[in-house]
Amino acid sequence: MTDTAPGLPRLGTTLFSLTLEQRRPGRDFASLVGEVAARDLGPGLEMVAFQSLRGWPRLSGDQEREVRGVIESSGLTPSCLAINNDLGLYPGRLLSDDESYEYVAVQLRGAAALGFPVARVGIETGPAILERLLPLAEELGVKVGVEIHAPLTIDAPPVAALEELFTRLDTPWLGFIPDMSASMRAVPDAVDDAHRVAGIAPELTALTKELWAEPGPTMAKFPELERRAAQAGATPPQIGNLKMLFTMHGRMAPERWADFFPHVVHVHGKFYGIVEGPDGLTDPSIDWPAVARVLREQGYDGYISSEYEAHAYSDRYSAFDQVRAQHDMLKRLLEAEPAVAAR
Amino acid sequence: MGPLDDQVVRADSLTATPDGLDIAVYSHWYRALPLPSLARVDLTVDGRRIDPAELSVTVNGTRHPLSEVASAGDEYWFTTDPLVLHTPVETAPGREHRVQLLLGLSIPYILTGPDRVPLVAPSATDKTLTAAGARS
Repeated sequence: MTDTAPGLPRLGTTLFSLTLEQRRPGRDFASLVGEVAARDLGPGLEMVAFQSLRGWPRLSGDQEREVRGVIESSGLTPSCLAINNDLGLYPGRLLSDDESYEYVAVQLRGAAALGFPVARVGIETGPAILERLLPLAEELGVKVGVEIHAPLTIDAPPVAALEELFTRLDTPWLGFIPDMSASMRAVPDAVDDAHRVAGIAPELTALTKELWAEPGPTMAKFPELERRAAQAGATPPQIGNLKMLFTMHGRMAPERWADFFPHVVHVHGKFYGIVEGPDGLTDPSIDWPAVARVLREQGYDGYISSEYEAHAYSDRYSAFDQVRAQHDMLKRLLEAEPAVAAR
Repeated sequence: MGPLDDQVVRADSLTATPDGLDIAVYSHWYRALPLPSLARVDLTVDGRRIDPAELSVTVNGTRHPLSEVASAGDEYWFTTDPLVLHTPVETAPGREHRVQLLLGLSIPYILTGPDRVPLVAPSATDKTLTAAGARS
């Protein structure tokens, strides 16, 4: 396990990092969990229920026992179960509030049955449903965290509405799950691989990265991206792929995560690639020294789940090796003496 | 767009059956999706567009006409399981077919735009593969 000193954030891994590994022949749930443990990528273990658990959200008693058994024998600690509120389940309509509540409540009970202390939902689960879920969360002893993922920022109206709710209810059972996709400093280089395969010219990728990095709200940059990419010869589907980069990678200043406290119940250590730099391991697209500083200053001692997501763009790297590198980097940053006059 | 797109139809995906060509399809999305997420199945085999009304799918051992999956919200297509697309294309073991598939998956928890419409994540396949014989 990559143990950090007492009082500091604890490290862990989400099986989502292993999305490509999961598809390899001979792989199953037990082998993925076992390898996370064998490579010391705990102590925390997170997973996306609909990704990892066949039969979710209706596991039989035997299936529940089997999943618990795999986790217990690995020595890892359940940290968070990512669940989904599939509001758009049926074509042409969204689930009603009653249907949505039931859809999430079943999964919250499932998370409790598997021993997870936190369940993650997305921003589509709004204040009304969350408030309704509160008594159940309390009864089950499972916190419900809303993931703050790009393109959301602290300034987005739905985030402000949640902050108001959490402040009003003053409860430890509801809160935020910061995801570092919202506070990046560069578009990851792994997108180059995906664009090459999709036939997108390197000049278009470079143009998109350049516009992304300019100051100003990302949403306001869409028209300019569309115009300049079309001028440079991009097809409409390619422009769609370029716009996706603006949606997947947010530019909020990492210091703003401090504003989400004291309502943070879990953290997603989203990343797209750790490289060896002149001063050791570093992440070109996420400012981890700044993130680590915020988490320490806020006294956060929950889990940071390493969430490697470059597999969405490239299969060139080993997710296990990448999580290992991120753990080594995070442990060093978190345990470093507070930087004097760092800002 | 991404590494999973190339695995939607695999080298061993085609099976010749007495009723036609079966195509094992794997999801390009990372999590299990409910069957109504099969928003678009544009299939062309050997240059002939297959009418979706002629298609049926088997998931979790149950066969559904494609036209009825929109109401099968309790059924999930698991991450690592194939969904078998049954086509009326005449075939035999050892025969080659060009399979072109545009698969549009409706992502029920990612709602876009002011009308909150689910994102449709597409993958495009164009492969020429050989059909195996059906296992008895």
